[in-house]
Amino acid sequence: MTAAIEATGVTRRFGSLRAVDDVTFSIEEGAICGLLGRNGAGKTTLMQLLTGQDFVSAGSISVFGQSPVENASVLQNVCFIKESQKYPEDFKVKHVLKSAPWFFQNWDADFADQLVEEFRLPQGRKIKKLSRGQLSSVGVIVGLASRAPLTIFDEPYLGLDAVARQLFYDRLLADYALHPRTVVLSTHLIDEVSNLLEHVLVIDNGRIIIDDSADNLRGSATAVVGTKAAVDEFARNRQVLHRDNIGGISSATIGTLSDDDRKAAAAAGLELSAVSLQQLIIRKTGTTEKEIEFSA
Amino acid sequence: MTTTTLPTPARSALARILTVARLHFVNKGQIIVVPWLIMSFIFAVTLIIGWILRSSLSAADLAEAGSGMQYSGAIGYFLVYMLVIAVMAISQTFPFAQSYSATRRDFYLGTIVAFTTLSLAYSTAVTVLGWLEDLTNGWGLGVVLFSPGYLSSNLLERFYVAFVLFLFFFMMGIAVASVYVRWRVNGMLIFFASLAVVILGLVALATVTGSWGAVGAWFVAMGFLGVVSWTLVPTVLAAIVGYLLLRGATPRN
Repeated sequence: MTAAIEATGVTRRFGSLRAVDDVTFSIEEGAICGLLGRNGAGKTTLMQLLTGQDFVSAGSISVFGQSPVENASVLQNVCFIKESQKYPEDFKVKHVLKSAPWFFQNWDADFADQLVEEFRLPQGRKIKKLSRGQLSSVGVIVGLASRAPLTIFDEPYLGLDAVARQLFYDRLLADYALHPRTVVLSTHLIDEVSNLLEHVLVIDNGRIIIDDSADNLRGSATAVVGTKAAVDEFARNRQVLHRDNIGGISSATIGTLSDDDRKAAAAAGLELSAVSLQQLIIRKTGTTEKEIEFSA
Repeated sequence: MTTTTLPTPARSALARILTVARLHFVNKGQIIVVPWLIMSFIFAVTLIIGWILRSSLSAADLAEAGSGMQYSGAIGYFLVYMLVIAVMAISQTFPFAQSYSATRRDFYLGTIVAFTTLSLAYSTAVTVLGWLEDLTNGWGLGVVLFSPGYLSSNLLERFYVAFVLFLFFFMMGIAVASVYVRWRVNGMLIFFASLAVVILGLVALATVTGSWGAVGAWFVAMGFLGVVSWTLVPTVLAAIVGYLLLRGATPRN
């Protein structure tokens, strides 16, 4: 397996704040990787470091085997779509679509036109007059049509409605199948994208707290529901990530279960159910569900 | 894990720089159409004033009005406009070009190429219009817009003066905007405070040493052309400082 991105001991300090704190990970080439975490966790800073837009305070980053900082031959393979992207004054949508192909060698103009139509983007309108959702779709279209070998989306769909988001997921998956590339997707909407992701990185307080394949993660926790006494008994000596009690009924999120564990749970009259990726990340980052949902 | 080779073939530095230069021209409305529309309006107003004067004043008063117009400079409007263009190129097009994965170096050199091209184009236009103005004796109405009295009648010299001034305003815009992009509002405050202190210091120095006479004599000795040529020093310095600042800048929100 080859790595598109390798980060070793990467730290980015702003004064006394460590926005990214001694982070080491790699992202495999040709995978869709989710970079998840709360607001202010360090996601955007990390992505800016990966794309040479910001400078590490310590550690090293390699993208396609080389440092990305001021490295044109690496960066021409990278497309970084930011939620907060600035556009030049009075730029129109058509100006973006006209200039983007000059910078991205794999740009597919037909695909871009198709996306403009599907996202119903008015080409002649000024960027600053676009709605929040339309602004996001400009970024999404550039990110998809550029077909950059490394495409990074940072919260790409702020303000996009459910239909447009689904359109983005569908086009991303279909185009990714035809033109495999490395995609890093940072988002709050974890459950919406969880089926897309092959690998998950979770960052919290500048540190990577989860770095695992999505499949492993899905199997790494199970919700156990039953009477309080039965759950207490079952949870003893097992790793409990979370616990809820309502009346006499209790629910516990337990770490990886073996087949024997499952049989034991069934015998004790407990119900087992899968934990969603979002639930799992909330449990592991100690966040309440509301915080993640409303921070988007 | 093995490292990979780069997925796409590298482009030449020249191709990358010219690509950035093109980016500055993609929205022609802002750098060509709007300034010329405004200039056309100024031109029209000047012509109408010229016509009103011509149809109402005596020959003697007309001559006096004509000499008063000798200091009207259309070029001044273009210069200020280009300063604004340069500021916007650094504060807005720079973060945008970063999203297109252009390096800071390629962006900066491409920007210099774009602005030098614009300077050439605008200097040529202003020189040609000045020549036409002289040829038609002030567009047949004795008005002065493109050929103010302080410019020489030598067209080559006029072109040189315009070109050097355009470069000066562009590079000043680049340098000041680079301070902003690098250090944001605090940078601007410190920059303008320092500038004020330096200018005050120079004024104090000239006053205390009683050398205002020498300063005046220097400007006289240099002449208009000489002073314009001397602006090349701050122009080049601003270009270098702008690069050094932008090299460490991060596109923030």
